[in-house]
Amino acid sequence: MNEKYPIRSVSRNDPDYPRLLRLIQNPPKKLYYRGDISLAAMASVAVVGARKATDYGKWAAFKLANTLAEYGLAVVSGMAAGIDSEAHRGALAAGGKTVAVFGCGIDICYPTRNYRLMNEILENGLVISEFEPGTEPRDFTFPMRNRIISGLSVATAVVEAGLHSGSLITAERAAEQGRSVYAVPGNINRAMSFGCNKLIRDGAMPIVVFDDIVKDLKLVRGDTVERRAETLGAGERAVYAAVRRMGEMTVDELCAETGLPPQDINGIVTVLEMKGIVETAQGRVFVSG
Amino acid sequence: MAGTHIIKSAGLSGISGFDVVVEVSITNGLPGFVIVGLPDNSVKESRERVRAAIKNIGLEFPMRRILVNLAPADTKKEGPIYDLPIAIGLLAASEQIGPVSEKSVFVGELSLDGFLRPVTGVLPMSLSACAGGADSLFIPEDSALEASIAEGLNVYPARHICDIIAHLRGEKPIEPAPPYKFDARENAGADFSEVRGQSAVKRAIEVAVGGAHNILLTGVAGGGKSMMARRIPSILPPMSMREMIESTAIHSAAGLTSKSAPLLTQRPFRAPHHTVSASGAAGGGRSPKPGEISLAHNGVLFLDEFPEFHRDVLETLRQPLEDGAITITRAAWTCTFPSRFMLVCAMNPCKCGWYGHPSGKCRCSEESVQSYARRISGPILDRIDIFAETPSLLYGDLAVASNGEPSAEIRRRVTAAQALQLDRQGTQNAHMTGAQIAEHCALDAECSKLMRVAYEKFSLSARAYNRILKVARTIADLAENPRIAAPHLAEAIRYRSSGLLDT
Repeated sequence: MNEKYPIRSVSRNDPDYPRLLRLIQNPPKKLYYRGDISLAAMASVAVVGARKATDYGKWAAFKLANTLAEYGLAVVSGMAAGIDSEAHRGALAAGGKTVAVFGCGIDICYPTRNYRLMNEILENGLVISEFEPGTEPRDFTFPMRNRIISGLSVATAVVEAGLHSGSLITAERAAEQGRSVYAVPGNINRAMSFGCNKLIRDGAMPIVVFDDIVKDLKLVRGDTVERRAETLGAGERAVYAAVRRMGEMTVDELCAETGLPPQDINGIVTVLEMKGIVETAQGRVFVSG
Repeated sequence: MAGTHIIKSAGLSGISGFDVVVEVSITNGLPGFVIVGLPDNSVKESRERVRAAIKNIGLEFPMRRILVNLAPADTKKEGPIYDLPIAIGLLAASEQIGPVSEKSVFVGELSLDGFLRPVTGVLPMSLSACAGGADSLFIPEDSALEASIAEGLNVYPARHICDIIAHLRGEKPIEPAPPYKFDARENAGADFSEVRGQSAVKRAIEVAVGGAHNILLTGVAGGGKSMMARRIPSILPPMSMREMIESTAIHSAAGLTSKSAPLLTQRPFRAPHHTVSASGAAGGGRSPKPGEISLAHNGVLFLDEFPEFHRDVLETLRQPLEDGAITITRAAWTCTFPSRFMLVCAMNPCKCGWYGHPSGKCRCSEESVQSYARRISGPILDRIDIFAETPSLLYGDLAVASNGEPSAEIRRRVTAAQALQLDRQGTQNAHMTGAQIAEHCALDAECSKLMRVAYEKFSLSARAYNRILKVARTIADLAENPRIAAPHLAEAIRYRSSGLLDT
């Protein structure tokens, strides 16, 4: 076990106890966790789905979590194989935060082959469970933890689900808890899309483009640009500051402003562009958004 | 009295020379003068020039049956270059001069009073004569300098046919032309230090030249695209002797060399107008003549107003961009010309040229802007490694812009980078093969991550991926760095195609 992240616990009366989780009908009395508990207070979205996911499902989960993380949302999931794992990976790849809710004691890595992923989550997120350390995963523990996944999140998105998928239970819990439910639509002839399409028929919101959830949550991109700008290197910060002050600039002006040669400015602008902070057109650099 | 004599000469096919044997036979019979051996009209007209010239210098034109055969008889001969060998052959066959050595080659056009006029294609012909074992070449004075580039050949320049006759009779030997000494002149012309601002585009050009990458400059009218493109010769690396001879041979075959500049010592910069025809660009004509694409060999082909070129002209670029050579096939002949050039294109963003200018002057509809960009086909865009946009400058911008670095400085870096590449892989980075890219453009963990994010974010194609790797390699070479580092890669990604041209 990674000794850097010891097991701690938080009870319902603690100020650190996740605020949204406290509002559900039967919140766990005590939560065991490893990692940074303050993440539980962040606005978060659950991304869940089948273990036997298709490539399409995995891609969509990664991309959806990635987009959410880019907007500064935490991504909650269950670290199961398939969709859950991709959701965590997508969030981590965007440099975002992610929360894994276990259906067993948090000293047990289940499935074991996700051991590396678990360590990455610990570095940049939080692992949480209502079960005593040492509790083995059982059939009934997973449906129980599903209410925590949806309870922690303002919205739950199901990426892929078969007819009897556990993710449908998560969606059901989310609806009971008064949280929004989203589903990624899929082909009509694909078993793994059946659950999602059914959710849509029953009133879940289809995710037509990946930005749908953040738009519904009225997150302004400008806010996230500011937030992302906090993680920049010195040269990047100087360029960003200059572009932000002027609104738009040519590379010549940026060179004059920052004292850097054009080859450095060209590289920095690319990196800023990839981070979604600036955009370029017609040889000029603009603030994104 | 009847005689036959053989004189060596040379011919030109495409850009390479070949040996021609001029056989002159004088027999008894009705007076006549016939030339056989696939002569074209200008060769047939030799009869009249030779007759007049021989009479005008006071020698005797034999009033018997004269037959001239140009061997090999199955190859077309053209041009007035056989005037001199026919005249000398006639004089030898009629024993007015002694026998002529079989190791002497004669090439030249005669005027009616016996003076010699310069001819085209001298360098390729003298190179082939040399290879064919000839030891001396008699040639019009004005073409002699170019001929003397070929080593191992005694070049005898002559102003008048009488000079040659006197030399052959041993009365007054002609002084052989000294071996050619070329002076490596510094690249003259417009300098990059005169360009104000535009540092990003200047840098893109430096990177392009640094690896011989093809580049496309986009920007509003008057943004300085052509102005900068025309300064590219000032930063091109110097030519090797082999490249000079290659390029000179092509120019010589096209009749573009002159007495004052017999050897191309500076890389060619060809800028054909956008009304050029497909055969003007690719080469062609009744007999194979190199076109603009080949004339740009070892240099730069600059296409200003790129989308305005005829579609078939743009499509002819595909083979040379891929293979470094162009093969032209006509009913009568097939010919391959070398054409490895760096393509530099410039285009306005739209038909009126003002799309995106802050003044809002553009009169084009969004639809027409798109269709303007679509005129350039995907396969051509795929062969362009670097895309740069010139920002439209307002007066205020110009006022703050400073003058740039002098060309000599940029040229030094570019030359060093190219030398590094030739040393490493035997070719410039733009021409690397897939295997070479894999070997020399390996990315470390940080770069791989950057590349993956870029791939996703900008939805790059596999082709774009390879182009970015090659450009990143060049940027690292310019920085004299053995490994591609993240800043190099980030800069390379900057030069990808974007906006309207993104396909």
